[in-house]
Amino acid sequence: MDPSGIFPTSYRTDRRVVRTRWQAIALAVFMGLLLAAPYLASGRIIAVLNMMLISAVIAVGLQICTGYAGQINLGQAAFMGVGAYTASILASKTGMSFLLTIPLAGFAAALFGFLFGLTAARIKGFYLALTTIAAQFLFHFAVLNLPSSWMGGSNGITVPPAELFGFRIVGETSQFYMNLAVATIMIAGAFGIIRSRFGRAFVAVRDDDVAAGIMGINVAATKANAFLIGAFYAGVGGALWAYLIRFVGVDQFTLFNSIFFIAMIIVGGMGSIVGALVGVFVIRVIQEVIATVGPNIADSVSFLGGDIVFAGMNVILGGVIAGSMILEPKGLMHRWNILKSSFRIWPFPY
Amino acid sequence: MTAAPLAVRNATLKFGGVTALDDVSITVNDDELLAIIGPNGAGKTSLLNVTAGFYRPQKGSVELSGKDVTGQRVDQIARHGLARTFQGTHLFAGQTVVENIMIGRHMLMKSNVVQAFFQYGTVMREESEHREAAEEIIDFLEIEAIRNRPVGTLGYGLRKRVDLGRALAQEPSILLMDEPMAGMNSEEKEDLARFILDVREARKIPVVLVEHDMGVVMDLADRIVVLDFGRVIAEGTPEEIQKDPAVIKAYLG
Repeated sequence: MDPSGIFPTSYRTDRRVVRTRWQAIALAVFMGLLLAAPYLASGRIIAVLNMMLISAVIAVGLQICTGYAGQINLGQAAFMGVGAYTASILASKTGMSFLLTIPLAGFAAALFGFLFGLTAARIKGFYLALTTIAAQFLFHFAVLNLPSSWMGGSNGITVPPAELFGFRIVGETSQFYMNLAVATIMIAGAFGIIRSRFGRAFVAVRDDDVAAGIMGINVAATKANAFLIGAFYAGVGGALWAYLIRFVGVDQFTLFNSIFFIAMIIVGGMGSIVGALVGVFVIRVIQEVIATVGPNIADSVSFLGGDIVFAGMNVILGGVIAGSMILEPKGLMHRWNILKSSFRIWPFPY
Repeated sequence: MTAAPLAVRNATLKFGGVTALDDVSITVNDDELLAIIGPNGAGKTSLLNVTAGFYRPQKGSVELSGKDVTGQRVDQIARHGLARTFQGTHLFAGQTVVENIMIGRHMLMKSNVVQAFFQYGTVMREESEHREAAEEIIDFLEIEAIRNRPVGTLGYGLRKRVDLGRALAQEPSILLMDEPMAGMNSEEKEDLARFILDVREARKIPVVLVEHDMGVVMDLADRIVVLDFGRVIAEGTPEEIQKDPAVIKAYLG
């Protein structure tokens, strides 16, 4: 939002994402800090940032599918898995460059997502949620039961490192730059999509599909496209994951992970790309704190035993999510927007 | 002679044993404001829904500018140039006025997803062009001051105006309006009536108006079709309709 009293003078300026000089500076500083992060922060923090960047790509995809187009999707981790497996198989069996495997992983996941998007044309809400859970089980079933020479079965697949002009992208730092580059492209593209006619069509289908139809929007195709795009993001994220961990196994992509992605966009705020990023940050930080504090508690309060502490930590994480839904059901971005608009008109009440 | 913007021929629509429309034919001519009236349950809204593609008639056809669109999907019919406003409103409540009207431009825009992802400049140029058309409609409906307000925060009269604006943004060749005056006070009715007349006169878009307010209908319509129990019982100018004995018996009382 522009400061009070400043009005846009062209349609182009009226639609800008970055509207003021301060926002541009803030964005530049933020990107600068990210670029310099490997020189400023410890390896542990870079590892966390890597997880955040990958989660960000996947959560932004889910935000487009669920937050913008309103199609509940509990299969995002399965779509991520399809991407991860596609990249792993292509990289390990054909030696293809990551410049090809990452987009191909996206397309493979998009195809898988599109199949479930077709069901969204006919069913809504609760029933759609159940159908997307089926994506999880279908994925697990396929990986575990197809011949293990195809997808590695229960043994998983070991992934060779990504290579660019003979330089092997190994180690947290070089992978960080690869993830940062891909995430930046994907997030910038997401802004492009949601601000175009497609973003408006998604919102139209979410808010009122009867009216969307009479606007000349093909409702069924739009819903299927929402899944396609959401799954494409998951697939790209899955490929990055495969290159980061260098090993894929079926139990990395469970319903539990899907629910975490949902939690990220709920905590951050539905229907906002920045909200998805905020949600990823908040949830990953909480997870990281729990992972750090948990063992210490288990050590110092030994009579509790490790199992109870770890289970308890998940309860805390669940509590954070439930609490944010009670206290801030529209997400952190909603609160931020309220703060921003009251600052803009300060000292007047409206 | 060019084909009529809208022609419904011998439409019959049944819900189980109930006949909602029985062999109904209407033709809308260029620049015409046709009103459809009738008692509750006469089939007025059913006729609009058949025309817009929400229901498929068991018999009969719907033609838009000479093209048979019977049985096509709602969005395909919309792309053939049919727009409608709803009884009550079906606006996208969380979106601003501008965004609602821009959704009306969706089917006229051409960029694809890959362009939206990569080619910021091309897509933004198209956006600006269509935004100009949207602003022209905002200007026409005199809603400049509220263009950035979320529609959900607006009063009913203004919402109906945005609903009309969104339909106009589709650049339709025919506009259907389902009870636009319902629930409005007389000032809001006058405003909307003025806009409906302007739509016909300045924009040359023929209008089909389903309405219960007889004062409005008699003042605005060029021609009136009266439905009762799913059948057309009379058709003519407002003066003729007011004198028609069958209409007086069935409806005007």
